[in-house]
Formats: sequence, C-alpha cells, structure tokens
Amino acid sequence: MDINKFKEIFENTTTIGEKIYIENNLAETVKFVKENYHFDILKEIIAVDNQENGIELIYRLYSAENEEEALLATIVRDEVESVCNIFDSAYADEKEIYDLFGVRFVGNQELKRLYMPEDWKGHPLRKDYMENDERLNWND
Amino acid sequence: MTSLKLNLGPQHPSTHGVLRLILELEGELITRCEPDVGYLHRGMEKMAEKLSYIQYLPLVDRIDYLAGFFYSELLCRNIEKALSLELSPRVKAIRVMLLELNRISSHLLWIGAFLMDLGAVSPFFYAFREREVILKYFEKISGQRMMNNYFVFGGVRNDIFDIEEIERFLEILPHKLDDYESIITDNLIFKKRTVGKGVLDPKIALNFGITGPNLRASGVGYDTRKKDSLYEGFSFSPIVLGNQDSWTRYKIRILEIHESIRIITQAIEKIKANPELNNNFINPLNIVLPEGEYYSEIEAPRGVASCYIKSDGKKSPYRLKWRTGSYYAVNLLRKLLVGEYLNDAIAIAGSLDIILPEVDK
Repeated sequence: MDINKFKEIFENTTTIGEKIYIENNLAETVKFVKENYHFDILKEIIAVDNQENGIELIYRLYSAENEEEALLATIVRDEVESVCNIFDSAYADEKEIYDLFGVRFVGNQELKRLYMPEDWKGHPLRKDYMENDERLNWND
Repeated sequence: MTSLKLNLGPQHPSTHGVLRLILELEGELITRCEPDVGYLHRGMEKMAEKLSYIQYLPLVDRIDYLAGFFYSELLCRNIEKALSLELSPRVKAIRVMLLELNRISSHLLWIGAFLMDLGAVSPFFYAFREREVILKYFEKISGQRMMNNYFVFGGVRNDIFDIEEIERFLEILPHKLDDYESIITDNLIFKKRTVGKGVLDPKIALNFGITGPNLRASGVGYDTRKKDSLYEGFSFSPIVLGNQDSWTRYKIRILEIHESIRIITQAIEKIKANPELNNNFINPLNIVLPEGEYYSEIEAPRGVASCYIKSDGKKSPYRLKWRTGSYYAVNLLRKLLVGEYLNDAIAIAGSLDIILPEVDK
C-alpha cells in the first residue's frame, strides 16, 4: 500500500478497535506510524490461523503520549517482513509466532524454537497441526 | 582476552522459576546475554481452543500464580463485554479490593525475593509475614491461597465476609512498610548494589514493550488503571519516578503498595455502602460468544496484561492470546545485562520482577 493512501485511511479511522489492513510494505508502514504519530509501544503481535484465508497478524501499537491505540493487520501465508529493527519487543513476539505458527519473519536473525524442543515437528497453534501427523499412526 | 560462555540457570534460586541465561563473559564483563525460556510451557493458548469457557476459567489463575486474580478478571471481562453482563456496584468494589490486595501480596513477595537475591535474608521473612495475612484472607473467602478461581462471569462466586480483618491489616501495613524502609531503603550495602545499576532509558523501555512499575520507574506515567472502567470513581494517582535504576524499581513498588492501600480503603467504603451482592450470573454451561474479536486489558503487577479472544460462535474460542508483562522483561535482559558485571546480573534481573510461568504460558 502506498504511504499516502495509508495516511488517509489511518487519519480517518476513529473507531476504537478497528483494524487497518496492510497488503504490502508492512515494515515501512509500521515505521511511518511510529515516527509520525508517536506510537512508541508495540504491545503485542497477535497471530490467528484463519486456515484457507492465511494467517492474520495483528500489530497492537500504543502511544503513551496521546493515550491512543492503533491496530494494524496483515494477512500472510508463511513469510512476512520483520519489524524487529523498528521495535525491539518484536524479537520476542516474532520468535513466539514462528514457534507456534511457523511464520518466517524475514530480517529477524533469532528465529528458532522457543517453547517447543528444537527437534519438534509442526507448529502447535496451526489449525491443521495434527492432520497427517505420523504420531496419529503410532497405534496401528 | 578469550571470552567465556557461562550458563546461568535453569535451576538457579535467583531466577524466580526456571529461566536459563546464556552469558558470554570477558573477564567479569557481560558481552552478550541470551535468555532461554520455555521450561514451564503448559500450552495455555492451545488448551483454550479445546475447552469451554467455564472449563478454562480455573486454569487462567495459573498463568501468574502470584497474581491470579488479574488473569481471572481479564477472561471474565472479555466474556462480560461480549455478552453485555452488567456488574453490580458491590461486585465491582469487591473485585477492586481483591485485585489490589493481590497486587500488595505480589509486591511484598517481590521485595522479599529481591532482597534475598542480594543476600539479605531477613526482609524475606518480614515480607512473607505480612503476605500471609492476605493469603489467609483469600483462603477464607475462596478456599484457595493463591489460585483462587473466585471471579466468575457476571460476578464473584460468593459474598465476602470478615472485612474488619482487612481494615485492621491496612492500619498496620503502613507501619510495617516503614519498618522495611528503615532497614532497606538507605542501607549502604543495598544502595551500593542497586543505585545506578541496570539503568533503563525510557526510550529503550518503550521500544522493548516494558510496562508497569518498571516503565514508571523510568519516568513514563503509563498506567492503564487511569482509563479502566472498573476503577471509575476511585481517586488515586499512578506513581512515577525518574531515576531509572534498580533502586528506583524497588522504591516504586513500596510506594505502589501505599497507593493500593488508598484504593482498598475506598473500595471497602463502597462495599459497605452497597450491601446487596446481586450477581448477574448466566448458565455457565451454555456460554457461546457472538462471532467477533474481543480485547481486554488490565494493569497487572508485572505490567500490562491483556487477553484477546476470537470467537467463531462455538462453545470454545477460535483463538485466545495472552499478553504478559514478564515476557517482554525477559527479552529486555538481552540489552540490559550487556556491559554490566556478572555479580550485578542477578540484582538487575531480580529488579525487573520476572515470573516465569507468566513468560512460558
């Protein structure tokens, strides 16, 4: 999405809790919002597996100065730009999402298993986690 | 000089759970720190997708066993918002009172544990003596000392009683806090190990997603209680100090206990003014949230905690996500410990009030 077009949508959004969908240039947009509107905390990144509609990532940004919250969302398949150069807290969130959903964040050097053991197969919070899993056939 | 890789934890008494820090040292100077978490992972978010809401409710206290009420409140709040259940004034006041008592007990434990990290054993016993009064009261009203499962969708499980116990406790607590301060705050050894150590710049704190007392000790006055509808009608002011070091993070928690006492005193007045409990219960076996997304947020003792639920109109949530303050504090160690000496590592990590079950979820 073009930054100017985004700016127009962003400034016209007044409903609290309304998500703004970003199709591309995610990192650039997040940086733009951080620098121009004082959104200085990335509270969390929420990932939701919507099955055939891809994985939705919701970025919850907060401005301590203006006491406002903004929700940016994007739909990904399995790869997306990392925002860890803009917010250091994203290291933690992206690591968790990689472990539980298998989304690869391009630019994050620290992607590895967080909760699961290193040799674990699959990503537990995906909806298709246990389909076609060899462990299901262990009793046969 | 050759660098040394040092493995701190996971079974270290000062890591407040099972946290493993992989440190790289040059002499005694830390050049790199990598936290390794996940030893306590219980799959809280995965479990939610299989259980109904009322089955999941007793589990959420275990996310942070030192502040279980806060997580119950988060889940209840989401469901009350989705089903538009109104809370009666007495229920609201009871919830505020218990939340703040829980905050006091959590901060007291931290004071004891932090001083223990620094090698002072006696404050631990003093803090636990006062904390015991609160836990005994929790046990009396809910049957459990720590994981209370007391808040239910639409109200609280049963009415509270013996409120004079709390009033008596609130009268003596400020004197006890003064006692702590007289042996801790200006203690020369304590000051040498905390003043000017682990300095957290507000810009870095915001960038790392730090919230709660740690952020307010860096001079940013962000407290979600100010905008919280549960705390409407209570007069209190968030404590903000600007010295940014470990000592400030200790002092701010002492002051927060004083502020919590103020809030509880007001809550008790409201409880007495509203004698009728009026729980607004619904049949818990048939709870189905309308399709949509729900967020709730609260100021927990370790920073802003929040709960996100996406419902697809079934008995269990489609996706449930927790935000916990400690998770980001652990991530901050990668930055905060670099450039410090090894013997300060425990003191700095301890000052951030990290609780590992909250990190691992």
